[in-house]
Amino acid sequence: MTKAFARTLRRKKIMSSDGKVIGQLKNIIIDVGSGQVINLIVKPDTGFDTSNYKLDDECMLIPFEAVKDIKDYIVVDRYMLR
Amino acid sequence: MKWQISELFGMSVYTDRAVFIGNVADVVIDIDNKKMASLALTNINPDIIDLKSFKGLKVPYRLIKEVSDIVLIRHIPGAFKSSREKDQNE
Repeated sequence: MTKAFARTLRRKKIMSSDGKVIGQLKNIIIDVGSGQVINLIVKPDTGFDTSNYKLDDECMLIPFEAVKDIKDYIVVDRYMLR
Repeated sequence: MKWQISELFGMSVYTDRAVFIGNVADVVIDIDNKKMASLALTNINPDIIDLKSFKGLKVPYRLIKEVSDIVLIRHIPGAFKSSREKDQNE
């Protein structure tokens, strides 16, 4: 069972499963009632094309469902991003 | 109730018998199950528990009752130093 402190996660970068760095993790949204982690709030890198993605005030909302693994990077499935 | 994790940092944690436990320092996330596992607390009330050389406490998620202006957790009779004496008197 992999457990991680939220503060250490917040310094990590997000990478999509095709190897592109998307950006930096800004915040995490959780549902306190069910304990479920819902979204990651990611600030996209300036070079990343965000035109196809759901943006909220310059930040991307990535469903936590799309997260494949977290080690040095947070790897997300690119097909589940949209 | 949806919360941004940074909003939880620094929140006061009380039991449902109004005993102050500490402040939220961090949230532990269980990545495999995509759930929050526990809250890491610092600034622990010295009257309820003797921390020795440890820095804080972890409160498992299942103890949390409500989160709003403060975090409310279930009171565990006998788990805390000062409440144990009170429980015996009751």
